[in-house]
Amino acid sequence: MVRDASAASTKSLDSTIDVVTPENISFEYELAGPFRRIPAYFIDLAIRLVIWVVLLIAVSLSGMAVGGGELAIAIWLLCWFVMEWFYGGLLETYFNGQTFGKRMFGLRVLRTDGQPINGLQAVMRNILRFVDMMPLISLQEFEAGPLALPTCMFGLLAPMMNRRYQRLGDLVCGTMVVVEERRWAVAMARLDDAAIHRLAAELPGNLTVSHKLSRALATYVERRRYLSPLRRAEIAKHLGDILLPQLKLPTSVDHDGLLCALYVRTFVAPTAREATAHV
Amino acid sequence: MKTAELLAARQSQWNELDSVCAQLENDRWRRLNGTQVSRFAALYRSACADLALADAYQLPPNTIQYLHRLVGRAHNQLYRSRTFDFAAWTRLLLTDVPRRIFTDGCVQVAFAAFWGVFLISAYLAASPTLWPDYAEHALGHEQIQAMEDSFSEPIAGRNAKYNPLMASFYIYHNTGIGLKCFAGGLLVLPGILITVFNAAVLGASFGYMARPDVPAGVNFFHFVTAHGPFELTAIVLSAGAGLRLGLSWLRTDGLTRTDSLRKSANETMPVMGAAMVLFFLAALIEGFLSPSAAPYVIKAIVAIISSGLLMFYFVVLGFPRETEL
Repeated sequence: MVRDASAASTKSLDSTIDVVTPENISFEYELAGPFRRIPAYFIDLAIRLVIWVVLLIAVSLSGMAVGGGELAIAIWLLCWFVMEWFYGGLLETYFNGQTFGKRMFGLRVLRTDGQPINGLQAVMRNILRFVDMMPLISLQEFEAGPLALPTCMFGLLAPMMNRRYQRLGDLVCGTMVVVEERRWAVAMARLDDAAIHRLAAELPGNLTVSHKLSRALATYVERRRYLSPLRRAEIAKHLGDILLPQLKLPTSVDHDGLLCALYVRTFVAPTAREATAHV
Repeated sequence: MKTAELLAARQSQWNELDSVCAQLENDRWRRLNGTQVSRFAALYRSACADLALADAYQLPPNTIQYLHRLVGRAHNQLYRSRTFDFAAWTRLLLTDVPRRIFTDGCVQVAFAAFWGVFLISAYLAASPTLWPDYAEHALGHEQIQAMEDSFSEPIAGRNAKYNPLMASFYIYHNTGIGLKCFAGGLLVLPGILITVFNAAVLGASFGYMARPDVPAGVNFFHFVTAHGPFELTAIVLSAGAGLRLGLSWLRTDGLTRTDSLRKSANETMPVMGAAMVLFFLAALIEGFLSPSAAPYVIKAIVAIISSGLLMFYFVVLGFPRETEL
């Protein structure tokens, strides 16, 4: 698909990425930036903490009730090990690239070519999270014992340095995190004003609208109802001033009405004659 | 056909695809039956076709964006993440990994670094004349005291109910160290530091315990003999795998840095898997056999057998073969 320069520049602004599917279709994903991923990470952290506390309580209760607390602690330690290193990896494997936190924020891990990830990639990218925390600052100066404060510098800097906001673990595994949103279908704008349809019928019969102009028309008319009349006039003036002389229409024609008429002509009414019949 | 008619005609199918996607997203365990699956695939393909023709149809930008998101969501439901293939893993662990380790320079470097530092540290700690305070410096007074206390009595078998507890503690603690060695290797320096630090501390403990004037030494070696081979090999393996990962973005062999990283990630993850298996085995031995009252001969035999198994794994299974494929 040929894209013009303006489309390319809005692309880099919108942080989307193109993906080609096995059906030979190219479609775009919105990449997830740090402001979605960090909250999702904290949700996961909180969930892990809750599970950890619940298990701890269960272990101490079972130890008090039945005895055999040592076995319970052993199981708890194993769970802790699994949760510390494999929580994200296992969830992303079995929940199609999502952890609970990612699910809440509508994120999903995919391979950079848009294909789903496999178990190995999911586990590896989560083990390498350890590197994201570096460099560690020792707190020994403050008598905090062997505790170290993770500065997370690598985790913050690495995503800034590549186009897909990949962490080090993502770079190693060739994965990326995308936003998966449900959008509501946008119907065509409804223009009930008879004057607009009349104007549309008066437009030249051989009129063809370029792709670029039709995009601009659709964007304007679909948002028009959120704008006040004065604002509409202000925005429509830019196009109207150029289009009116081109279409040989009198300067008294309302700019907003002209754009709506062009919209009707491009997207809604099949031909000038049918449009007249419709009105 | 004008856009408005086209939209009216296609909208119901898009809505249907949208609702199936929503169902699949909200209920992970939901399975569609045969007709539903083929209906879903057909809807997905027609949405793909609509998106491909969006420019020709002159669809408004908003609708195109809607289609992009819809196709994206349906794509993610159609192509789902693949889970672990355990049969392939066994094959990987028994054929590919040993051969890779046998020829991997990084594992050899990690081996040399770990054992070199270990032996030097042990010699310094054991020698009473060369640097008498070395063990104190390396381990700290408290840790030496704690070690001497915990090994002050002969190992006579502790209460057996603590065995699973300790075994899982060793899994948690030692495998964690191994994974840190591996992950830190990505940045080269942290990986080497963690490895050398562990080698120095372990070497100093072994050396100090080998001093003739330390009475706890006999019990210490009674304890560590059985699980030593597996555990120390596992640390070397994880350090080597991490080093390979870190070097791959420094020395790329003509690939781009990202591609080189990705390639080495595919190669090193199974090696790390092998290291984790060794950590688990070591933890089981350390939890159940090492503290038991079994005579030293049995523990020594276990150590010899496990070393033999490692040799078999690395040399016999790992020896490069001419007839590949």
